[in-house]
Amino acid sequence: MARKTGILVLASVLLASIASICDSAAIFNPISDAHRSAASELFSLSDGSFGSLEETYEALRTFVVLGIEKEPVIRTSVCASVAETLSSPSSALKDLFQALRVNGILKCEINDKAFAEIAFRLKDSVNAANLLLDFYHSIGGLMLIKDQTSEVDVHLGDADRIFRSIKALSQSDGRWRYSSNNPESSTYAAGIALETVAGLISLASSEIDHSLVATIKNDIMKLFDGVERYDDGACYFDEKFVDAHGHQDPLSASSSVVRGITAFATATEESLNLPGDKIMGLAKFFLGVEIPGSAKDLYHQIDALACLGNSRVSVPLILSLPATVLSVSRKDQLKVRVNTVLGSSAPPLSVKLMQIFSSGSKDASVIDQELKFDPDHAVHVLETLPKNIDVGKYIFSFEISLQDPEHKKRYITGGRTKVPIYITGLIEVNNAEIAVLDSDIGSIEMQKKLDLSGENDVALLANHLQKLRLSFQLTTPSGKAFKPHQQAFLKLRHESGVEHIFVVGDSGKKFEIILDFLGLVEKFFYLSGKYDIQLTVGDFVMENSFLRSLGHVELDLPDAPEKAARPPPQLVDSYSRYGPKAEIIHIFRSPEKRPPRELSLAFLGFVLLPFIGFFAGLLYLRVNLKNLPRSTVPATFAFLFHLGIASVLLLYALFWFKLDLFTTLKALGILGIFLMFVGHRTLSHLASVSAKLKSA
Amino acid sequence: MAGRKFTAISLLMLNLLSLLPLLTISFSHDQPTDRRILVLLDDLALKSSHSIFFTSLQSRGFDLDFKLADDPSIAVKRYGQYLYDGLILFSPSTDRFGGSLDLEGVLDFVDSGHDLILAADVSASDLIRSVAAECGVDFDEDPSAMVIDHIGYAVSQIEGDHTLIAADDFVQSDIILGNAKIEAPVLFKGTGHSLNPDNSLVLKVLSASSSAYSANPASKLSNPPSLTGSAISLVSVVQARNNARIIISGSLDLFGNRLFRSGVQKAGSSYKYEKSGNEQFVTELSKWVFHERGHLKAVNLKHNKVGGTDEPSMYRINDDLEFSVEIYEWTGASWVPYVANDVQVQFYMMSPYVLKTLSTDLKGLYHTSFKIPDVYGVFQFKVEYQRLGYTSLSLSKQIPVRPFRHNEYERFITTAFPYYGASFSMMAGFFIFSIVYLYNK
Repeated sequence: MARKTGILVLASVLLASIASICDSAAIFNPISDAHRSAASELFSLSDGSFGSLEETYEALRTFVVLGIEKEPVIRTSVCASVAETLSSPSSALKDLFQALRVNGILKCEINDKAFAEIAFRLKDSVNAANLLLDFYHSIGGLMLIKDQTSEVDVHLGDADRIFRSIKALSQSDGRWRYSSNNPESSTYAAGIALETVAGLISLASSEIDHSLVATIKNDIMKLFDGVERYDDGACYFDEKFVDAHGHQDPLSASSSVVRGITAFATATEESLNLPGDKIMGLAKFFLGVEIPGSAKDLYHQIDALACLGNSRVSVPLILSLPATVLSVSRKDQLKVRVNTVLGSSAPPLSVKLMQIFSSGSKDASVIDQELKFDPDHAVHVLETLPKNIDVGKYIFSFEISLQDPEHKKRYITGGRTKVPIYITGLIEVNNAEIAVLDSDIGSIEMQKKLDLSGENDVALLANHLQKLRLSFQLTTPSGKAFKPHQQAFLKLRHESGVEHIFVVGDSGKKFEIILDFLGLVEKFFYLSGKYDIQLTVGDFVMENSFLRSLGHVELDLPDAPEKAARPPPQLVDSYSRYGPKAEIIHIFRSPEKRPPRELSLAFLGFVLLPFIGFFAGLLYLRVNLKNLPRSTVPATFAFLFHLGIASVLLLYALFWFKLDLFTTLKALGILGIFLMFVGHRTLSHLASVSAKLKSA
Repeated sequence: MAGRKFTAISLLMLNLLSLLPLLTISFSHDQPTDRRILVLLDDLALKSSHSIFFTSLQSRGFDLDFKLADDPSIAVKRYGQYLYDGLILFSPSTDRFGGSLDLEGVLDFVDSGHDLILAADVSASDLIRSVAAECGVDFDEDPSAMVIDHIGYAVSQIEGDHTLIAADDFVQSDIILGNAKIEAPVLFKGTGHSLNPDNSLVLKVLSASSSAYSANPASKLSNPPSLTGSAISLVSVVQARNNARIIISGSLDLFGNRLFRSGVQKAGSSYKYEKSGNEQFVTELSKWVFHERGHLKAVNLKHNKVGGTDEPSMYRINDDLEFSVEIYEWTGASWVPYVANDVQVQFYMMSPYVLKTLSTDLKGLYHTSFKIPDVYGVFQFKVEYQRLGYTSLSLSKQIPVRPFRHNEYERFITTAFPYYGASFSMMAGFFIFSIVYLYNK
């Protein structure tokens, strides 16, 4: 639940959780210029104003705390709106309160008469109030008037009664309700209530009952018992109450509580004896938010930090390091800065480096060395790193000790602060060589020296009965053997894109890897051919991490058996997937082969020859037409008969040219009947003529 | 009478008015840009820590609805209608969503053409991993693994574990990343993923350098890491066939204010950029994913015979035809003609018979002409246009192609003239013979 509603920026949670893996150390930086530029960005003027009076107050308050000068630009317009709100008798209580708050910063010219009228109204509403927010606005308003003018009497007579009616809204766990009708309690309301009570105490005309004040102190303690905690030491107050806008964020709730307790501590002028680590945790929480993205969150963060920075409760001191990555080769010095949460300078103090833990091992070397203070830059400097510190990752433990015993009561230092430090340096690489060995005897077949500071291009040949050996040495700047924590990879990349990665082992003195190809053929998917060799050595403390191509080895592996695993599919290049495809043109069927036109025409001539022969035959036989009927009727029928035959033949010719079968058959039918009729007449006439001739 | 008329008109107006908001805000094919976006967060603080990203979306007119990922009131669908056009999942540690949303629901949401931004992180939950896996992205199985690069890291005074990477290996696509070149490297801190080689829709937008690997920075490596080199993808996108778009990032911080504002200096280079490329990268990517860019539409697919204007119901083999289609591109505000020289049409039956590149008049019209193959059957005009970053166009129109009719073949073949000559001389001979035979004496 805490994880889900927690306010910390996920980034910092992450950072924190990673840090918690390595001994729960984290650095929180005080408010810096980044906040100032973010504030100018977030509280931007639209139409010359910040919006409502509440937003204006939040903007102005943030600017005041951060020390940004922006008042003159908006002063006139805001003062006009403040004066208008204050003089209007119909202004709501809340608006009056906000207007007074703005006026508290801008100090507009409001006459005492107006203040007196408002004070009268506010006093009335205090007596009539039964909602927490009504109490808050009216008592808060009276407090603001008290600060702004001394002429108006703002003292409340019946303070004990009012106190009791506010206290009636508190819950047993230290949280408060907004009204007696609403059973839901809220942490935000607790902060408001504490502020109200603090106001009431300073406005009371007579001393408030001590036992009442003690119950409030008790409530505060209970509230602090319910504080939530992150792994990195940050504390916050969770908010379970969901308001009308659905907001329930711990940032505003924690901020409200911090405002409440500081106001209460100031008003009662008593020590609350709050646990120092929780106050420190709250400060860490607000700083852990880094730069919030919304104006409201920024106001809550900055206002709460301002309260913590000047509070009477106790002021947390934040130890921060400008750099935690220190380079041996650049001779970086370890610098520590101690500030208040708002980034202002701390009282005179000394910082001691107590212990150094090296990562991976539990044992710590105790140093107890005081850092030298550099007043020009306000930093504490460790001039030389301890002798036994080589490159690597360490956790430095610092302790702040205040010089003035008086300050020890006022400031909290949070005990020992553990900070992860990376010491980086240039690592020397030498004795690098690559060799191909014969498997059974181990004799060296081929050996090449490598220069890992530059490019290499070795060409090796090996088969599956041989081994490949690569070795090199790494030395730290102080001359010891360096063991990379992380990355010493040998990569073999086949032409087809299949990659194999091996971690180069470390035998204490040198790095060496022996690849026995006999055992690797299966892993290599029986792929023979050229393999590019690449060596990557890197570590976070190694300033010269490198990735070098060493050349290639030509592997001759046996053929794959049938059941061997196939290489995994390689990712297709995404660019090649998209381009246009090659055009496709349809190849049409070629037309059939035909003889040349001349040949056809020649054959046409040959085919027509018999016809000419037929004519010649007719002439040779001296045919005549003497048998034509002489009389009119048979002659007509004979003429029609031959005309019919001619038209049938013509029809055939037409059929060939253009007509289709159906038209042709239709016409042929009609012509056939006609032909039958005239043919019969003609032939019977001819028959009768020849019969007459025979009989004659 | 007049009163009744008035009531009728006012009723009509009321109906129109009630329709109006639907018409103006809902996702439509005429306005492909998304409008309503559901943002699911692990923690409401993200709203503030990632405010620059959210504000830039809001200022571009998106309507963001923030909810905690376990909010029981989450619903993306009501009465079969989707309530949102896009989903942003900034909830890497959520094991299950609240309300009615689940893995199925997210996939259905994408399957119905909606867009998704998914940000995972170190120790992402199984739910988030399975959403990513369904999109073709496999995160490193080791939940504590981060991408580490000892050569391409971002120089930092306070972070020494080289997990903050300055990545500058972007995809070469103006459509996805905008016209302006991203000068400064993008800061990335999170977990890496690999792409499933079987998925052809997913592609790397931001890749790690060849010296990167994915491992737990706190522990010593004894086995080779599962992900190394430029095979590690830091940010990937999916352009689905239904035009849904997905961004998958292995880092939630990538979208956060802290990295947006932070300066960047890549290890080994002496130049320090004032501001990282994150803001530009994320903004441009979000423009792409929410369809403010790279959305194509094709209209008026037309074809006709050369010389004609009407679209025939059928073609004959060997006809010459003209084909045209209009393609427009969405700019976020209006449709403008799309200009490219690689739009192709296929004349397709089982396989393409003709594949031709269309020529354009630079006003959106693409046209070409070709001869129909001498194969008959039911063909399709197909325009399959898939380009990096653009939505895919897939149009097809069916058209039958018939063979020659019996009377469409060549009528008088010279080769056959001897036969014709024989017939006709025979016929003429018969005619003469019939006369001679009957009347000779």
